[in-house]
Amino acid sequence: MSMMAVIDASVKLSGMDDLAMNRTIASVPFAGRYRLVDFPLSNLVNSNITSVGVFASYPFTSLMDHIEMGKSWDLDRRRDGLRLLPTVQHGAGIMSVGAFASFEEHIQFFNKSKRDYVVITNPFTVCQLDYEDMLSVHKQSGADITEAVSDGVQLKSYILSKPLFLELISSYKDKRVISIEDIVKLKKKPYTYGQYHYKGFFAVIDSVERYFEVSMALLDEENWRLLFRADRPVYTKVKDEPPTRYIKGSDVKRSLVANGSTIRGDVKGSIISRAVIIRENTKLQSCIIMQKSLISENCDLAFVIADKEVIIEEGVSLHGTAEQPIVLRKGDRVTKEDSR
Amino acid sequence: MTSKMVAMLLAGGQGSRLKSLTYDVAKPAIPFGGKYRIIDFPLSNCTNSGIETVGVLTQYEPHLLHAYIGLGTPWDLDRRHGGVTILPPYAEIEGNKWYAGTASAIYQNLKFLDAADPDYVLILSGDHIYKMDYDLMLDFHKETQAEVTLSVLEVPWTDTHRFGVINTDEQMNVLEFQEKPKQAKSNLASMGVYIFNWRTLRECLIEDSKKEESSHDFGKDILPVLLKNGSKMMAYPYKGYWKDVGTVESLWEANMDLLDSHSGLNLNDPAWRIYSSNVQMPPHIVTDTALLQDSVVNEGCVIAGEINRSIIFRDVKVQEGAVLSECVLMNGTVIGKGAKLNKVIVPPNLNVPDHFEISDQQDEVILMTQERIDEWKGSGGK
Repeated sequence: MSMMAVIDASVKLSGMDDLAMNRTIASVPFAGRYRLVDFPLSNLVNSNITSVGVFASYPFTSLMDHIEMGKSWDLDRRRDGLRLLPTVQHGAGIMSVGAFASFEEHIQFFNKSKRDYVVITNPFTVCQLDYEDMLSVHKQSGADITEAVSDGVQLKSYILSKPLFLELISSYKDKRVISIEDIVKLKKKPYTYGQYHYKGFFAVIDSVERYFEVSMALLDEENWRLLFRADRPVYTKVKDEPPTRYIKGSDVKRSLVANGSTIRGDVKGSIISRAVIIRENTKLQSCIIMQKSLISENCDLAFVIADKEVIIEEGVSLHGTAEQPIVLRKGDRVTKEDSR
Repeated sequence: MTSKMVAMLLAGGQGSRLKSLTYDVAKPAIPFGGKYRIIDFPLSNCTNSGIETVGVLTQYEPHLLHAYIGLGTPWDLDRRHGGVTILPPYAEIEGNKWYAGTASAIYQNLKFLDAADPDYVLILSGDHIYKMDYDLMLDFHKETQAEVTLSVLEVPWTDTHRFGVINTDEQMNVLEFQEKPKQAKSNLASMGVYIFNWRTLRECLIEDSKKEESSHDFGKDILPVLLKNGSKMMAYPYKGYWKDVGTVESLWEANMDLLDSHSGLNLNDPAWRIYSSNVQMPPHIVTDTALLQDSVVNEGCVIAGEINRSIIFRDVKVQEGAVLSECVLMNGTVIGKGAKLNKVIVPPNLNVPDHFEISDQQDEVILMTQERIDEWKGSGGK
């Protein structure tokens, strides 16, 4: 009963704008069947944390759609469970994780809780962090605030005691800090700062290029195994899609394929989400195709990210690069004339 | 006020012709189609037909089935009123109420049905693969003012000896039953789907329970008695896909029917979803050495081998150099390097060793077992 947690889904990252125009970064689709928020949510649940506040700023409709009452993570509880806490701190947007001004708005959420420690994390770090382990390191070290790091990279996840957390919320203006990330970065006195060294697959996804790179890394079976561990499942909203159908003549290699798709074409080095249709004589190389998209006959796509419900008509040819993948926005319809 | 129909799903069957697949699970719990269990079909049909109260009668090896159905959440049957209720046999002062036959199973649950107080009762089996709108059948039942309606479908004349055959007049009034006839008078087979007016059925069940000579079975006892007594009994002609998956062969065939776009068994219809308990697994991974043709693959798999016309359940590993055709690999199976399987059903969590080869000369479906693997190892892998 010792930890409660916050996922800061109100944080803005300008590098993600192409995929986060009409949704929070937390609800950006990832790895064929997930949303980015599934990773921190599952980590918290797998660490036996059952009191989670998700701080969200506009537009959060798709996030609400996805997490609903938290049922998929077993967080639809009579006591505690999942709370969606909308914040008015939007507009300019806060670029760092864990804004005190947002927490201040929902101070009751923290005051009411009987938990002793607060975990603050973000939706754009994909990893398999064990917060129980992190808490024991935090307690042993005696540090006031512990942050998770891996190979020198900050994972932007923090643990601190609730009394300290409340103290920071009441004094952040005087201390001239705006967020947890900020205070840890500045190493503000008189507090002490510890580190928890995480080992395992991780990725901080702060730009579309990085998103593409990390997605492709998951085509490596070893990385796939490290992230999708049987003992710590990644939970997501249930969809009742049947298994994927491979039609005679399809040629799929080195790809990640979710359920409900029908594949007739050639797919190499790509990620195919749920309920995607890929027609015959079509080639996909290094593409990410999101849910319910349709790729018609005789297309040739390379380094393309197609957001949800994109329709690519017959004979389209699109070639991006690993450094600059072509991003097709949700619901886009692409015709032969749009080829590039 | 709309009339209310309650479904009673008979899910107690052992299904001994499915051999080791039902060693410790009831037939309705057998995996099917890469993701589902057989019972998902009648349960999803109920949900999609707007039936809100479903009793599931269990008996043989019920643990997995009970755990699987749970509160009925996957089928949206976790309701405050109605929803799904599991009805195992129970004991009362006069003794144990073991289910002797299909009719006695319903009779033992009169209290459940009286509490639900339906106008109609729909009797279903838990061992058929089909997509059917029971609401349309109820419309037919009401329009024809029947007391009993049996759902029937045309089977090939050569197969009539395997089914309960229904003879009707041109208006589809039922005239006669023939149980597995040598000389069938029609090719209309009963699907084991019945709608009864509850009052009619209730009376008949109570009468039947008093008869010592009765086998307490719908097909053998209840329906013939009602017909003899002059109850209006109609046959409802069903046109869609239907398969009794009672044998290893028919279970395999139904799985293969998923690969045939003309079979009528389309599981990709958003208007008629088959719901199932969803296990959280990542998308499957297809490696550089894989070849996937005309197959169905569920989540959590790692596919490195060659797969043709096969059904692959979740969390399956097919290693490099393995060649599979017309196989059904149930969840958690591992197919070793260079193994060659043709027309084989591999039950859940079985490890098929590297270079294991099997294909039957008689072109029969082979049900893989641990014993078969041990034998192969014992003979030095020949």
